[in-house]
Amino acid sequence: MSDQTHMQVEHDIAPGDEEQHSVGERIIGYVVGLGLALLLTALSFFIAGTDLVWQPSIPVALIVLAIAQMGVHLVFFLHITTGPDNTNNVLALAFGLLVVFLVVGGTVWIMGHLNQNMPPMDQFIRMHS
Amino acid sequence: MLGKLDWSAIPFDQPIPLIAGAVVLVGILAVLIWVVVKGHLPYLWHEWITSVDHKRIGVMYILLASVMLLRGGSDAIMMRIQQAIAYQSQGYLPPEHYNQIFSAHGTIMIFFVAMPFVIGLMNLIVPLQLGVRDVAFPTLNSVGFWLTATGALLVNLSLVIGEFARTGWLAFPPLSELSYSPGVGVDYYAWSLQISGVGTLVAGINLVTTVLKLRTKGMNYLRMPMFCWTTLASNLLIVAAFPILTATLAMLLLDRYLGFHFFTNEAGGNVMMFMNLIWAWGHPEVYILVLPAFGIFSEVVSTFSGKALFGYRSMVLATMAICVIAFMVWLHHFFTMGAGPDVNAIFGIASMIIAVPTGVKIYNWLFTMYGGRIRFATPMLWAIGFMVTFIIGGLTGVLVAVPPADFMLHNSMFLVAHFHNVIIGGVLFGAFAGFEFWFPKAFGFRLDERWGKLAFWFTFTGFYVTFVPLYVAGMLGMTRRLQHYDVAEWRPWMIVAAVGMAVLSIGVICQIMQIVVSIRNREALRDRTGDPWDGRSLEWATSSPPPVFNFAFHPDVRGEDAYWDMKLSAQQQSLDHTAPEYYDIEMPKNSPTGFVCAFFATIMGFALIWHIWWMVILGGIGAFATFVVFAWRDHDEYVIPAAEVAAIDRVNIEERRNLVSMAGTI
Repeated sequence: MSDQTHMQVEHDIAPGDEEQHSVGERIIGYVVGLGLALLLTALSFFIAGTDLVWQPSIPVALIVLAIAQMGVHLVFFLHITTGPDNTNNVLALAFGLLVVFLVVGGTVWIMGHLNQNMPPMDQFIRMHS
Repeated sequence: MLGKLDWSAIPFDQPIPLIAGAVVLVGILAVLIWVVVKGHLPYLWHEWITSVDHKRIGVMYILLASVMLLRGGSDAIMMRIQQAIAYQSQGYLPPEHYNQIFSAHGTIMIFFVAMPFVIGLMNLIVPLQLGVRDVAFPTLNSVGFWLTATGALLVNLSLVIGEFARTGWLAFPPLSELSYSPGVGVDYYAWSLQISGVGTLVAGINLVTTVLKLRTKGMNYLRMPMFCWTTLASNLLIVAAFPILTATLAMLLLDRYLGFHFFTNEAGGNVMMFMNLIWAWGHPEVYILVLPAFGIFSEVVSTFSGKALFGYRSMVLATMAICVIAFMVWLHHFFTMGAGPDVNAIFGIASMIIAVPTGVKIYNWLFTMYGGRIRFATPMLWAIGFMVTFIIGGLTGVLVAVPPADFMLHNSMFLVAHFHNVIIGGVLFGAFAGFEFWFPKAFGFRLDERWGKLAFWFTFTGFYVTFVPLYVAGMLGMTRRLQHYDVAEWRPWMIVAAVGMAVLSIGVICQIMQIVVSIRNREALRDRTGDPWDGRSLEWATSSPPPVFNFAFHPDVRGEDAYWDMKLSAQQQSLDHTAPEYYDIEMPKNSPTGFVCAFFATIMGFALIWHIWWMVILGGIGAFATFVVFAWRDHDEYVIPAAEVAAIDRVNIEERRNLVSMAGTI
């Protein structure tokens, strides 16, 4: 399309459309990201098998590490920042997260209650025997 | 070689679908022969089928929706006649045929009438209202349309080759599983929705990007016309919700094709999970359909009251609130399935809360009309008819949002009356209002008002005569989807509903007559100004029909109601007579990608339904190759030279001068 349509939205950049960064800076960014991602992955595998920590804390630690992993991906590879050029991307991410939270959370809640009130037949027999 | 397909797929023993199919086939052949003999084929190919112009694609969407409306409407007529005569008898439709009809009616009306109609209107109008030259991804837009058409084609194909689903429009398992529905009906249903679902998702991504990224100078978010806001909300919902439908149907198809057990009765499948997932898509879908209609009514009410929209910001807020709350109410479709009082109470309350932003909108429209000088043109009649009808539908909706009441009314005719009340009164009236309102913009001549008003009054009356009796029948305990019944009290209401259907049909005939009469009198109805209704937003700032580039210059927006302000300031300052300097304009080239992709998708879909595996591979490779060829193209734009832009635009400016002197006085 003609160039005129592009000029009106100034502070808004699509993912992958960064400007004014030298190649060196960008490579450093990706290397740091890769390092952090690998570190978090290694940590997860280590924690999962270790007996150095209190056992019930392992699932919690894995969840924390997984969320940190997502954060690393968002910041270093998808380049989500808090800058004004990223408003749309951040809002889209927030809306997506909200919908996923509502649908997944709601589903778990609903299905849990359905199973309580109308358990599958084998569970039902077990409960009443 | 041909999978499950053989001669027994053609229903030679059933005269109704066979005759209907034959008539349609002859009709299509006649049109095709006429097109080829008259030499219109190159025109159709270059100007429409391969077009990536958002206006053309919008028109084709609406055409598809209108044709499918006739198909879905015929199903409705057949059902109403069946229920009117099937008291203590079998009626004239055998059960397996009747079940296919109500399943096809729902599927067609939602996916192939309401969806393409609103997406068509959004396609046609939103770029114009934003003051830009096209949508964000023009070729993708064409792909989306043709994939939707593929879905519609497959549904219609099921009429003569094989059968359609007998499971209702959402194909609930376990009935839709292989053990209870071994035929190809559910496969027709699922594959046509999978293919058209891709088209819808593509359209959603396209329109979200268009609204967020392509706005003309000065068009801030809070200066966008209401229709653009509702388009944004509706398409955000499409992007968020349609993947759920695709995933759910994919799981059902895995059950049916590869022996999985997602939703089966045995081997750990969970039927309730299907209900949960399909309605997690299904309820946002309701708002995907009705939000654009709200946008249309906002434009219509404000234009025909001659006033800016009352409470613009509260309207924006209400729209976005609905966009979020739409994802918090889906359980109210299965209150009775045993989630228990805690869950039911929360979702019941959420369902009542979502009526609040809708109520805000109703008051805003009323206050927009208050003190305005209202012109009762056909679009305004639809808007007022909508307000009255939608309030009734909304109230019965709040009633069934109360879980104890829902336990009485679930799956009854009361429910059928309720959702027709909001979908016909909301979405269909909105689509008709938008059709009447923007037809002059799309084609350059107005529609005949006399036939338009007749169509409105017949449809409006017919709607009430048809659906109020269904409320009563529901209160009398009649459940939905009955092929025959033995309760004498229900009979009179079914007969009244059938009479109402006849009145509704007269409304449809009037609508067709309106188009025929208007095309014949098009010279007398010609709109040379581009602004036949004394409009307020930017689509009226260009000629009717708009040139392919929409605007020679990107309009400079200084406030809400951009075009209204321009007209007023032009009136005060007298017109600027200096000739502007024109520039070359680059526009996207036409591309057959969409049509070719859809051609292969049709082959693939048909082959999947009939288990013809070599053809599946053929269709898949074809569609992928088309995509690769498109991705490697070298030239995707052409240039309209400045001189041509100037020639087109001068005519527009000349017409506009005559109009501006009259602005605000009509």
